[in-house]
Amino acid sequence: MHILIVEDDDVARDYLAKALREVGHTVDVAADGLAGLHLASSIAIDLAIVDRMLPKLDGLALVQSLRATGRKLPVLILSALGDVDDRITGLRAGGDDYLTKPYHMSELLARIDALARRGDSGNAERNTRLRLADLELDRMTRRVTRNNKKIELTAREFQLLEFMMRHSGQVVTRTMLLEGVWDYHFDPQTNVIDVHISRLRQAIDKDFDKPLLHTVRGAGYSLREDE
Amino acid sequence: MVSPEQRFLGILDTSPFRIAIVYSIVFACGAAALLGAVDFAVSRVVDGSTDNLIEAEVQGLREQVLVLSRSDFIELIEQRSQDQDVRGAVYLMVDPQLRPVAGNVPAWPKIDASEGKWIQFKVSVPFGDETREHEMRAQRFPLPGGYHMLVGHDVQERLDVKHLMMRGLIAAVVLTLLLGMGGGFWMGRRILAQAGAISAVATQIMSGDLSRRLPVRNADDEINTLAREINTMLDKIEQLTLGMRTVLDSAAHDLRTPLNRLQATAEGAMNQLVPGSAERRVLERVTTEVDHMRGTLDALLRIALAETGTVAREPVDLSELVASMVELYAPVSEERGITLHSAVAPGAEVLGSRQLLAQALANLLDNAIKFTPDGGQIRVLLKGSRGAPEVIVEDTGPGIPADKRELVLGRRVRLDEARKFPGSGLGLSLVAAVTKLHGARLVLDDAGPGLRVSLKF
Repeated sequence: MHILIVEDDDVARDYLAKALREVGHTVDVAADGLAGLHLASSIAIDLAIVDRMLPKLDGLALVQSLRATGRKLPVLILSALGDVDDRITGLRAGGDDYLTKPYHMSELLARIDALARRGDSGNAERNTRLRLADLELDRMTRRVTRNNKKIELTAREFQLLEFMMRHSGQVVTRTMLLEGVWDYHFDPQTNVIDVHISRLRQAIDKDFDKPLLHTVRGAGYSLREDE
Repeated sequence: MVSPEQRFLGILDTSPFRIAIVYSIVFACGAAALLGAVDFAVSRVVDGSTDNLIEAEVQGLREQVLVLSRSDFIELIEQRSQDQDVRGAVYLMVDPQLRPVAGNVPAWPKIDASEGKWIQFKVSVPFGDETREHEMRAQRFPLPGGYHMLVGHDVQERLDVKHLMMRGLIAAVVLTLLLGMGGGFWMGRRILAQAGAISAVATQIMSGDLSRRLPVRNADDEINTLAREINTMLDKIEQLTLGMRTVLDSAAHDLRTPLNRLQATAEGAMNQLVPGSAERRVLERVTTEVDHMRGTLDALLRIALAETGTVAREPVDLSELVASMVELYAPVSEERGITLHSAVAPGAEVLGSRQLLAQALANLLDNAIKFTPDGGQIRVLLKGSRGAPEVIVEDTGPGIPADKRELVLGRRVRLDEARKFPGSGLGLSLVAAVTKLHGARLVLDDAGPGLRVSLKF
């Protein structure tokens, strides 16, 4: 994937570029808003990571300009501001996701992955049936089966599983789950998400040979068929 | 939307309408007193002159009866009765059996009155083709030989005038009251329209839109002057708030940026090291500390944000929020063997920030789970209706001593008893700030045993 990083803080930018290259992305960097906008309009880019406060052209203005020219590429906004409202402003300006500094690289990578695949998971969005290996989820009948055996889930477990299945094969972090399933944007002190996940795991993996729901150490969870 | 009936009742409640009513009542009383005084004076003059006239006539006839023979006296009475110049004068002479002998009154009135007293009676008088009952005022006196004499005057006209005056008086009072109410209603409507426009803007300002200003018309009345002054005040508040927000934003930026560098540097170095090595463990501790700092910073910024009141507000379904928070925390408390009870009244709605309210509830539930011993209980209640809901979180933990409840709401206060538990000590201060932002009241109480936290909206 070709990723553009627009970030004025060189330490953060260099580490981000290095980390993205290490996982196999092509990376272009810009240190201010104008250079970023110029790069974004001149070369083919799959995804942009834009810092919110940039010299010359503000990050939000950059995203708005991009959107005004009809560019639909996914944009992740990085912000060193407060939060709550800033997040909403960022998303309204045309950002697809919003991450507050300081962040863990694993969190950023997981979110980029989710953003990149959102384009081709558009089908999954419309699909009423999601499937992974022998696990099936029907959004219309709200029925979940594994190996044709019906699995009883609570309403929230169903939502959680649906979210995981839409992101199957990707790493999903705890904050992504809290945002995506509950629509909350804070870090709970207690391990609330882990307990919900372990209940879901009980329901879908316990009576079957091959586990599908995996814990990714230091990052989050992943629903995938193990090779 | 306000119904026409409510709007009407609203006008009745305005101060101009009340003032107008009070003034029209005072004015009506004044008018009534004035007319009453005029009526009293007029009747004294008119009644007095009539009575004098009758008394003089009685006196004259008393003298005549002494010098005249009975037949001459009868003739005199007949003569006076027919006299067209003396309009309204009435005479009646009766024999001892009270049968009329002379005069212009058909019969002796059936009123028993002694000599010298005033008698009032009605007599039918021809009035065009009909007859009318006229009020008469008269005196009687005895004549020689057991005869009686009645001398009086028609006072109907005088009464008519009096009635007319009374009717005029009542009409004047009623008209004054009606005009006063009408005027008050009109002024009340004007004031209500202006006040309505002002309170609509005030609501928008309170919901976070600080750029709004009160409507000012091109006039120098009190309301416009007041509106202008309030607008100047709002300008200052907006400047101050924006200033605070800017300070907050730059503080956030200046703290988050180096923290982010620290995180990036540590993570970058960590990836070069073999997992499990001593150096890597040091760096892992560094990133853990960055996480803690971030947590504290987030909490502080959210508290400051809530305290500046610059957070955008929107209608929040409190019932849904409380239910979903309970649902979020149910598994983790079950894991600890804690029973989480909840009773959530439906339809509770408040104006505010869903995220901040969620954070506050999360802090309360985090605390409750942290301090409640295994096998304990937590109760989450949402009481009350749309207007004034109350959220209560109760636990069976150690509680907070009464004298320290005020203290824990302050910044970074951790009681000695709580030091063995992890946490920043900002949890309850965030709850307090968020409660204040939403115009709610935070009360810490004894759940006997345990802590009872109540948020009254």
